[in-house]
Amino acid sequence: MKKTLQDYKSVITPIWCPGCGDYGILNAIEKALFELEIPPENIVSVSGIGCSGRLAHFLNTYSLHGTHGRAVPIAVGAKAVRPELTVLAVGGDGDGLGIGGGHIPHAARKNVDITYLLVDNRIYGLTKGQASPTTPLGERTKTSPLGVYEDTLAAIPMFLAYDVSFVARASSIKVKELTDIIKAGITHKGMSIVYILTPCKTFPVLEIDEMKSMFKPLPEDHPRDNKLKAMEMAYVSNPLYTGIFYQVQKPTLNDRLDHEIEKATAKHDGGKPYVLEELFKRFS
Amino acid sequence: MSTGGFRSKVDFVVRIGGEAGEGVVSAGELFAQAAARTEYHVFSYPTYPAEIKGGFSMIQIRIRDWTVYSMGSRVDYLIVFNQQAYDRTIQDLREGGTLIYDPEEVKVPAEIAAKKVPIPLDAIAVRVSGSKLGKNVVALGVLGYVFDMGSAVLDKLIRDRYGLKGSAVVDKNLQALAAGYEAAKTAGIESGVHLGTRSEEKVRYMMLSGNEAVALGAIAAGCRFVAGYPITPATPIFETLAKLMPMVGGRAVQMEDEIASASAIVGASFCGEKVISPTSGPGLQLMGEQLNLASMLELPVVVVNVQRGGPSTGLPTKTEQSDLKFAIYGSAGEAPRAILAPTGVEDSFYQTIRAFNIAERFQMPVILLTDQSIGYRKATVRIPAIDKIKFIDQSVLSEKIVIPDPEHVEIASRIEATEEDLREYKRYKITSDGVSPTVRPGTPGGQHLATGLEHTEEGQADYSPINHVRMTQKRFKKLEMLSAALEKNPPEYHGSPEAKIGIIGWGSTEGAIREARYLAEEKGIKLRHLHPRLLSPLPENRIRHFLVGLKQVIMVEENYTGQFAHFIKGKFGIKPVEIHKYEGVPITPEEILRGIEKVARVVDEENLTRL
Repeated sequence: MKKTLQDYKSVITPIWCPGCGDYGILNAIEKALFELEIPPENIVSVSGIGCSGRLAHFLNTYSLHGTHGRAVPIAVGAKAVRPELTVLAVGGDGDGLGIGGGHIPHAARKNVDITYLLVDNRIYGLTKGQASPTTPLGERTKTSPLGVYEDTLAAIPMFLAYDVSFVARASSIKVKELTDIIKAGITHKGMSIVYILTPCKTFPVLEIDEMKSMFKPLPEDHPRDNKLKAMEMAYVSNPLYTGIFYQVQKPTLNDRLDHEIEKATAKHDGGKPYVLEELFKRFS
Repeated sequence: MSTGGFRSKVDFVVRIGGEAGEGVVSAGELFAQAAARTEYHVFSYPTYPAEIKGGFSMIQIRIRDWTVYSMGSRVDYLIVFNQQAYDRTIQDLREGGTLIYDPEEVKVPAEIAAKKVPIPLDAIAVRVSGSKLGKNVVALGVLGYVFDMGSAVLDKLIRDRYGLKGSAVVDKNLQALAAGYEAAKTAGIESGVHLGTRSEEKVRYMMLSGNEAVALGAIAAGCRFVAGYPITPATPIFETLAKLMPMVGGRAVQMEDEIASASAIVGASFCGEKVISPTSGPGLQLMGEQLNLASMLELPVVVVNVQRGGPSTGLPTKTEQSDLKFAIYGSAGEAPRAILAPTGVEDSFYQTIRAFNIAERFQMPVILLTDQSIGYRKATVRIPAIDKIKFIDQSVLSEKIVIPDPEHVEIASRIEATEEDLREYKRYKITSDGVSPTVRPGTPGGQHLATGLEHTEEGQADYSPINHVRMTQKRFKKLEMLSAALEKNPPEYHGSPEAKIGIIGWGSTEGAIREARYLAEEKGIKLRHLHPRLLSPLPENRIRHFLVGLKQVIMVEENYTGQFAHFIKGKFGIKPVEIHKYEGVPITPEEILRGIEKVARVVDEENLTRL
């Protein structure tokens, strides 16, 4: 039976503040999954803690709303054992660039075939307005009453340096473009990061009005396989380019794990797995 | 008095000591491997410094014609490569024991009451192979002569061990071996023990370390996913699984730290796999947040903590039983989990299977608490009978699943939702035993939310007082059911029903306590020995049963604070005599015996009454 968009929505009503960019992101995710016709039961959505961590509640998928900063390594485990499932990871700037930032390079090294939606509103919203790794220098927040004195983390160049095999930027205020980028990320074989800028209405660092004139799509002829060019475009601050900065093909974690099994069983009875008794004999 | 085959015709201890990097441990392991291929039972235990080279290192091997329960108390044959090894181990040599030493490295005082055998190991190694590096194989040759192993057995060992390194390496080692053999012959040392034959019965034995036994147990239990991060002394479990997993079609993933490792097993368990992550104390601390999440999401995960000396980096290569309280309680909020402690190498295999059974059936994390002394010891282990491994149907009640032993192994999986359940699926449905049916992603109609927030039966976040009460009770109901299931099992204690003295231990001290009990019984002291494997939840009625009629209880632990004693005192209101050892090395039967004798004198003289 053909699915409808409704089939991707859970029974739980979103509880974000009115005007929150996360509504647009949720719409885009639902649309992307629907348009790709992925059965909801074949989707695992893992989220971290924070406003965006709630996204997993509202999707009619196998959803795991875990601990702060661990959406990516939980997704690695899920995808490792069930290659046939579509695995999404979702988290915010605090979740993904602060507490969980250390996991990204290692997921990238594995090139695990997950799509990581990193939602950046440049503030800790759920804990009510503290500075995050992307809050701009000088910005006053509850934990930076005299202005942020740390430099801002440049996420896209960092993902490129980590060699994430699909790196894109989008915004929650352009849902159609975001949907297409999420679809491209899910379709990409390997680790994809869709870095989404979004406004927080309650603790505004990024404001909608400001965002309307911030972005510009990458030029049509942007060479996606050229990392240095991608790096150059990622460092342009005005405008902020949206779209796919970088995309290359390489073996995924599951390709690598399958290859391990092939190598380990190559000399055994037509490549069949060893049985327990054979393992015991190796120790006697 | 019968001691169940305790007194043996053949029972001796060999120790080799030297500087780390000199091949001390590998010489000992080769000797132990050779002995394991004979009709005897073998137990070997190495200690390493934390450094790769330098520092004192030794290996102790005990060989018996009956099951070996501990590394033994006194050394019969001591081989020392240098002065430091001599100084640190000579006090353990039995009076009249044999001391084999390199006279160019070690000064031995004339008054030592030992059979002194100087053999210039360095000089021989340099002569035959041009380098001191071969002295461990020279030492192996010496042992080969002393125990009459025959060149066929020894040569095969060298070929097995060094064959991959090419014929030049094999030849050099064979020459070193022969030179050691000749030197021992010239020196005229003989033990009268012949370790040359292979008995047919022994074919069904493996020579395993405790860490390898855990790895094999996991595979036997049906685990096909391991995520890990290297940490001494648990690394060999991960290394073994990294090798074996792909061979059986499973997956091994090295993660960036223990937080990520625990996260990965949570993700894989959510997807329906049986999962494991091995670690040691400092790693368990990092895994805390995910174990906590697994309790809340009711996901089965097995974590092995091969304990080492702490706190902090502590004594990475030494043993201690000091993570018990952290294992039970190291969580935010109240998070049910079960703690199992295997007693030795063979038990590590069966308790690992049991850890999976409990985790899967009760949908919670299980921490398997071993320690460095189990993980690194090697022992001969009977090959489990594959045809006796039974996969348990979902219809079998969890409390009916047997505790695995060499004769009965049952393997359980998690209870899965039926079509009926899926019609209006409630992942956290409240049931009579607290266990709710699970569903594997990919199953239509099973989509649900698993959140670390307090949630309803359906999985939706809900912080209402009544909901938190219901769901807390539901999660803890599973622990109560586990505890109740355990009460139905036969008692786990050994010894005399008339005993007035009881002795309680946990984990790796089982063998030493057992031998101490045999030694005490020979002196006419009756004892009862309780050694629970499941440490949390505790089967309280069965422990009460054990305590009935006892006038004094001794508790043995390898820690400073008496972590298990704290529970026993609190739950049962007794005041045990506590024997603590926290030197980083395992307690010996003799040390325990000294404690038993003291207590026995008090019990006799004062006729103390307690309980």
